[in-house]
Amino acid sequence: MRLAVAAAMVALLAAPIAPASVAAAATYRVDDHATLPIESTALLRWRQAAPSLAQDDTLEGATAVAVRLNLAAWVGQEASLYLVFPEQGSAALRASWTTQGRLLPGEVSPGKRVLVYRGRITSPAIEETLTLRIEADGNRLSGMQHLQFHFEIDTD
Amino acid sequence: MGAIDITCRGLAGVALTSLLWAVPSDTRAFTVNIAAANPRVIYLQVGVGSFNGTYNSGGSPANNATVNVVSVTVPAAQVGNGAAQAMTTNSTASRSYYDNYVFCNAPAQLYVGGFFRSTSNSGSATLTTSSPANLVNASGQQIPFSQISWTSSGNGDSGAQPFPAGSFNGATQVIGTIRRNQWAESCHTFRYANSSVVAPGTYSGRVTYTLSTP
Repeated sequence: MRLAVAAAMVALLAAPIAPASVAAAATYRVDDHATLPIESTALLRWRQAAPSLAQDDTLEGATAVAVRLNLAAWVGQEASLYLVFPEQGSAALRASWTTQGRLLPGEVSPGKRVLVYRGRITSPAIEETLTLRIEADGNRLSGMQHLQFHFEIDTD
Repeated sequence: MGAIDITCRGLAGVALTSLLWAVPSDTRAFTVNIAAANPRVIYLQVGVGSFNGTYNSGGSPANNATVNVVSVTVPAAQVGNGAAQAMTTNSTASRSYYDNYVFCNAPAQLYVGGFFRSTSNSGSATLTTSSPANLVNASGQQIPFSQISWTSSGNGDSGAQPFPAGSFNGATQVIGTIRRNQWAESCHTFRYANSSVVAPGTYSGRVTYTLSTP
């Protein structure tokens, strides 16, 4: 019984993640297991050393992320690629990034996704380095927080 | 930390959905860890201080090692007569680094102010003073530090001061607090109680002001 349940679960998981072929328009999670931040922790500093009259209590910092996306399932297709920043359930956050040109720069807040590539998928992998800048509300950031990001692809 | 020297001179002085995503998360998501690099910052100014710009324009504090003096010379004929003697300071700090407003009236008043920065909602910063039991002259004669008191105000201010009126107790005492991510300031006007006859001489003692974060 336990094995049957486990097998069903695996089938459910695998279907939307690693399609052998994709024909209809749909959204899939992209295999980005090889994507890694360069630093273990991005240290955020006060944007303003003193708490100004405007009450700017923003902490900010940046870190580089080495992105490697497995797009083999979609080679030859027209698609849109998104960076997704799910709700974090923590301090007010905002993330922005610059790129080296293979992906689009942009910014995103929790619960949203932003287009980073639109066009034909021409190679089985994309490699890019994002310089990711994080802003957080200093009144609500205590200790270390783990921000989860992932990529999604929409096929036409 | 700041300090002032006080002298009295003269004759006295987180279900299923999550499970579905939990499995692929190891291979299909990346995590950026963030932490505050410098979660607490404090700035204290007693008398003169240094600040690059002003607080409300995004300035940043700087160091200033000056120790100001608050003093009074009691006329011979008034020594120990109980008539409180107004003290003055050699501080020239009248403008607040909050907004460059002329908040204090130097030399009659001593500026006391600062701010407390923290990412943790764990309380306020506390300003304490540490004073010796007595002011002492060259001959070892003494005047209790409790003879020195102060009133608190600020130009254009109304309501309670963050560092209210009080008197030194010859030990460590709380002068006031600064709430998280706030600037607080007061102007102190010192006086010597002059309640006892003391031997002639210059009586001095140092008060150390310390701002502590929780």
